[in-house]
Amino acid sequence: MSRVENPAVDNPAVDNRASGALDGTVGAVPSPGASRIRGLRRLRAWPWSLRLGLFGVLAVVLVLLATPWSAPFDPALQDLSNRLAPPGVVHWLGTDQLGRDVLSRLMWGGRFSVTIAAITLTISAVFGTLLGIVCARTKGALDEFVMRVSDVLLAFPEMIVAMFLVSILGAGYGTLILALAVAGWTPFARLARALALEIDSRDFIEAAGSLGFPRTFIILRHLLPNAFSPLLAHASVRFGHTLITVGALSFLGLGVAPPDSDWGSMLADGLPYMSRAAGLVIYPGLAIFLTALAVTLAGRGINVRPRRQGRS
Amino acid sequence: MIFLLRRVVVLLGTLASVSFLVFLIPYMTPGDPARKILQARTGEPNLDPSAVEAARVRYGLDKSVIEQYWNWVQNALHGDLGLSYTSRTEVSGLVGSALAVTTSLAVTALFIALLAALPLGSLAAIRRGKASDIAITTVTQGFVALPEYWVAPVLVLVFALKFGILPSAGWTGPVSMVLPALTLSLRPMSYFTQVTRASMVDVLESPHLTAARSRGLSFAQAMLRHGLRNGLLPVVTLFSIWLAGLLGGSVVIEVIFAVPGMGRLLYQAVTDGDVPVIQAGIVCIVALTVLITTLTDLLYALINPTVRSSNVPR
Repeated sequence: MSRVENPAVDNPAVDNRASGALDGTVGAVPSPGASRIRGLRRLRAWPWSLRLGLFGVLAVVLVLLATPWSAPFDPALQDLSNRLAPPGVVHWLGTDQLGRDVLSRLMWGGRFSVTIAAITLTISAVFGTLLGIVCARTKGALDEFVMRVSDVLLAFPEMIVAMFLVSILGAGYGTLILALAVAGWTPFARLARALALEIDSRDFIEAAGSLGFPRTFIILRHLLPNAFSPLLAHASVRFGHTLITVGALSFLGLGVAPPDSDWGSMLADGLPYMSRAAGLVIYPGLAIFLTALAVTLAGRGINVRPRRQGRS
Repeated sequence: MIFLLRRVVVLLGTLASVSFLVFLIPYMTPGDPARKILQARTGEPNLDPSAVEAARVRYGLDKSVIEQYWNWVQNALHGDLGLSYTSRTEVSGLVGSALAVTTSLAVTALFIALLAALPLGSLAAIRRGKASDIAITTVTQGFVALPEYWVAPVLVLVFALKFGILPSAGWTGPVSMVLPALTLSLRPMSYFTQVTRASMVDVLESPHLTAARSRGLSFAQAMLRHGLRNGLLPVVTLFSIWLAGLLGGSVVIEVIFAVPGMGRLLYQAVTDGDVPVIQAGIVCIVALTVLITTLTDLLYALINPTVRSSNVPR
């Protein structure tokens, strides 16, 4: 069963171009050793949002990974004689209120922001997906219970709950991740459950069942691969949201705390100096925005991408 | 009828479990509740132990958890939410005025979002696949990735500090509402535009619009009489979902712009450990959220009978 998304819904121009290119690939005469070229062609057939998003994500990850070697200055190195310097040759993005290099601080701060968001999201996604699939396959009392719990969790305002947990458990990275994961799993559980119910009704699952394959095998071999793409797309949209929420908590002084700093806390620190050095506020926010945008774009691209046939 | 009953049962169940969780908050936070309540009532920082014990008995804090919960619910239903630990005023008054502020901000923001999204989404649908459609879709989708704590300072920088035409913070009148409402409107605007576009694309392709055109109606007449009604239904649903979501108040926006709404009230309460305010705030927000979403579902079921049958939307 082909699972190509209705092209009209998401982005028609992109999709038409993409499927046209794909047709060209299919029409090409397969020759020995053509698989690599076809792989490359397939890459070119990806929608621009996926390519651009992946490029952005890759760039951010590489910069953050290389930070310990490539950051021009020690992010904590103060130079009080050179405070709030404008961008220049030595300090590319200027210096902050304590004369620290903004670019270096951005690079180090990004490691906190992105890592915390990624860990939170991974925990939420894995836990939520597994729970959702188990619910869909067992149905009955467990399913009802989990769905009602997620009703309750979804009714709570996310920021307030996170703030509350941080305030009783004390600020720290573990608490921050826990506070965001407490309700973070619910959308994944719901999506995974809905997908599993839909996939479960297809013929190949019934075929696998009647052939006597064990349940776990069916889930791993048939269910997960088919649910993977929409789940990944959802995860990337959630990543942007999580990154922004982590930043918001740090901005309010409840997340990453001194001596460490992330993009959110840098932005908050820069606020009093905004009229003199707008960059202190603009750059960290821009970093969050561009990172969130890149991941979200990639996610939209996954949704648009013409899929292969369902594995069965 | 079964649909209605089911929704009501879920509604009550959610409220009961949330209120119980919220009731347990004093047991999760450090400090003796009896001592804190007495301090809030008398304003004395140093209390002698016998007075604290007397207060424990008087406020029923020596009873079993279930009894205490029952008392607490009954008081709350009568509008008695206790005294704030820090400001020593009635919590119901604090929450009430904050809720009024947040509601006016949320409604304004959502109307700004609608005013932009309806024309933009319709235009994108009509000019589907053309440059203007791609531009509108891309830009509004990008709004989702905008952190509010970045948009707000940038708007302040431009409109308050550079041009000086709008106040940078405070809550003094309609003018002070412009920047916070604008910041708050961006994310819903993004979703409204996408949904408007998708549903308008459906409407434009629908046979009854073609039929109306073939009867000689102009495009505008056909849209007004036959298109918009169907096309706007999903947007209305989304509007009420967003309204429910925004009534909790945006902590970040209210803190930045010094708006005395729910978000800032709860932020203050959490930082100060002001348990009665946290409890009342969360219960109010959750009750409103659940009520609005349930009403939306019911309204939707009234308009669209297929929902009513067996599958309850989750």
